[in-house]
Amino acid sequence: MKILKLTIIGFGMVCSLCLVAQFSRADEPATIVFLTWKPNQPEVWKGLFQKFHRENPGVRVKVQVGPHSSTEYHAIVTQRLKNRDKSVDVFFMDVIWPPEFANAGWALDLTSRFPVQEQNKFLTGPITANSYHGGIYGVPCYLGAGLFYYRKDLLKEYDFKPPLSWEEMVTQGQTIIQGENDPGLHIYSAQFKQYEGLVCDMMEFIWSNGGAVIDSKTGQIVLDASAVIKAVEFVRDRIIGKAAPRGVINYEEPESLDLFIQEKAVFHRNWPYAWAVANDPKKSKIAGRIGVGPLPVFNGQEPASTLGGWQFGINRYSEHPEEAWQFIRFMTSHDTQKILAMEASLAPTRRSVYQNPEVLKKMPHFNTFLPAFEKARPRPLSPVYPMISQELQRFFSRAIVDRSSDVSEMAKATSARIEKIVKLGTMIQK
Amino acid sequence: MTRKDQSFFLTLLVPVILVLLLFIAAPIGQSIFLSFHRIIIGLPQLKTPFVGLDNYQQLLTDPVARHSFWITIIFVATTTFFELLIGLLLALMINQHFPGRGALRACILIPWAIPTVVAAQMWRFLLNDAYGMVNYAVFGSETSHYIPWLAQPATALVAIIIADIWKTSSFAALLILAGLQVIPEEIYQAAKVDGAVVWRRFWHITWPLIRPALLVALLFRTIDAFRVFDIAFVMTQGGPADATNVLQLYGYKKMFVEGWMGYGSTISVCIFIMVLSLAIIYVRMVGRRLLEASV
Repeated sequence: MKILKLTIIGFGMVCSLCLVAQFSRADEPATIVFLTWKPNQPEVWKGLFQKFHRENPGVRVKVQVGPHSSTEYHAIVTQRLKNRDKSVDVFFMDVIWPPEFANAGWALDLTSRFPVQEQNKFLTGPITANSYHGGIYGVPCYLGAGLFYYRKDLLKEYDFKPPLSWEEMVTQGQTIIQGENDPGLHIYSAQFKQYEGLVCDMMEFIWSNGGAVIDSKTGQIVLDASAVIKAVEFVRDRIIGKAAPRGVINYEEPESLDLFIQEKAVFHRNWPYAWAVANDPKKSKIAGRIGVGPLPVFNGQEPASTLGGWQFGINRYSEHPEEAWQFIRFMTSHDTQKILAMEASLAPTRRSVYQNPEVLKKMPHFNTFLPAFEKARPRPLSPVYPMISQELQRFFSRAIVDRSSDVSEMAKATSARIEKIVKLGTMIQK
Repeated sequence: MTRKDQSFFLTLLVPVILVLLLFIAAPIGQSIFLSFHRIIIGLPQLKTPFVGLDNYQQLLTDPVARHSFWITIIFVATTTFFELLIGLLLALMINQHFPGRGALRACILIPWAIPTVVAAQMWRFLLNDAYGMVNYAVFGSETSHYIPWLAQPATALVAIIIADIWKTSSFAALLILAGLQVIPEEIYQAAKVDGAVVWRRFWHITWPLIRPALLVALLFRTIDAFRVFDIAFVMTQGGPADATNVLQLYGYKKMFVEGWMGYGSTISVCIFIMVLSLAIIYVRMVGRRLLEASV
């Protein structure tokens, strides 16, 4: 009898607690979870989240920070989305992921919220990257493209103009290094570790020699063409251990940028964000002595940069798609992009920001780059891109590390492997 | 033991068995199940067809997997050998009586107590090509001679091997020390009286008596080394040119980076089978020796 009484009392208490919880929930703002990675300027992002909270009292954003590396972040996001984990509402996508996320049904189709006339306010490259089979699955947050940074002061001292070709970069660098007589100074610094960045850097060499991985017209894998082999061999024979220290084989963006801002490299390839870091006197020894321009080419070819950048996507199984969209709309608004451009030197994806006088005053180079940003080339757009990338990373790393390797034979083997993967990807379209 | 007792004991075992089933048997079964299917998480339209032994066949002809296999074998052989050797020396040392022995014993365990990720990150800094202490120790301020240890295939592999030896030798030392401590002091005193010198005392008393402990350490270390992942993941991510792409890392990349669940599971299952067969061989060997030693 006593037990029964206790049970009833207990049950009643639980019920009333639930009711209280229910009532208070109605007043509490909806919470959405934004899965991000640690940015280079966390204070800028924090300020933006606070601004969003001030302007949208009905929504609270909980920020979860994932790994900085794109590949590791991809592993975490895909594992959570694959399991239909509802605890993520908004996530970031690297520019190479939307086809995969769209095809797998992880990212919500945003066509109704993000119609074509709104898409037209953004640059074409990132919009293409976010489109898949007629839908749009992400809103571009900021844009990346490979840029060529150089020591303005050193070039001036030796009466050089920024090099137009890779060969010219090497010869100019040799003269400067001889003249400076500094054993710690190198000609070039970039990212050659076996990771996604290696594909970006190598593709720029290959494109600027007229090569490609997949022929845009025929869809054939053309990795074993002589333009590709020559570009790869140039990197192996003239860059690694020559123009750049051998250590670059283990460098991602931060290490290669360190070399540049510590006055140890004349030329440097990086994304737009490097401008803010390299010009920050607290972090950089070369603040104010930097120039930036398009990457060099091989003789007679067009300059090419790899399209990079990040997009916001919404989890298809999110319980708060409306609030998530509210957050994305805020994060990709003209005002937010202006703040990100001026305070974190992230290149905007909205055309209008490039015309803003305040932005142009602080970031004069943005305007010069607009054509280059518009023309930045995407890596192969495919739902199986992660697999293609692993093959490319393996090929490039092996080719540039080992001087005695037969690049064209490796290229052939890699082509065959990529062809198999691409076939897998096309099976779904039939 | 009465019948009632027996059933009572069996009831007590139920939770343990349930936990083992849930956390060990189920994941292994799941992996084996996945390895017989073609599952690509980015392409759900392909469904998850049963492909029999296709994945295993593919693995046998996969040159990257073969390369990773040999890298793993080199890693296992060298780390296990040096860890046991250094572990033995450390154990002999801290088994002596000298002031501060307790403190030293604790110190020796520090590398083992540091989380692997932290230790690997520390080694990455030590071996850095621009400001690493290793380069400074070898070349001083001659920065132009600095060697990018982690950027050359051969030295990168040696680097992760050294990092692992540094980290786990003390674990081997701990196991061997336990073996040393059960040897009664009287045997040594008797040998001394008989005029046996240090070397003879080691060879005829210590060595045969710690062999079982050494074998246990060998078992633990080989099996553990086979499953190496974190050191390579943090220090090199498998690069350069796949020089440190150990099998577990390759499987991880297939499964989590490329989303190739079936094939990735196949790699895990193969590592599992290799480790399991090693364990069976060892346990049979060690088990017999242990019994012989204790008789």
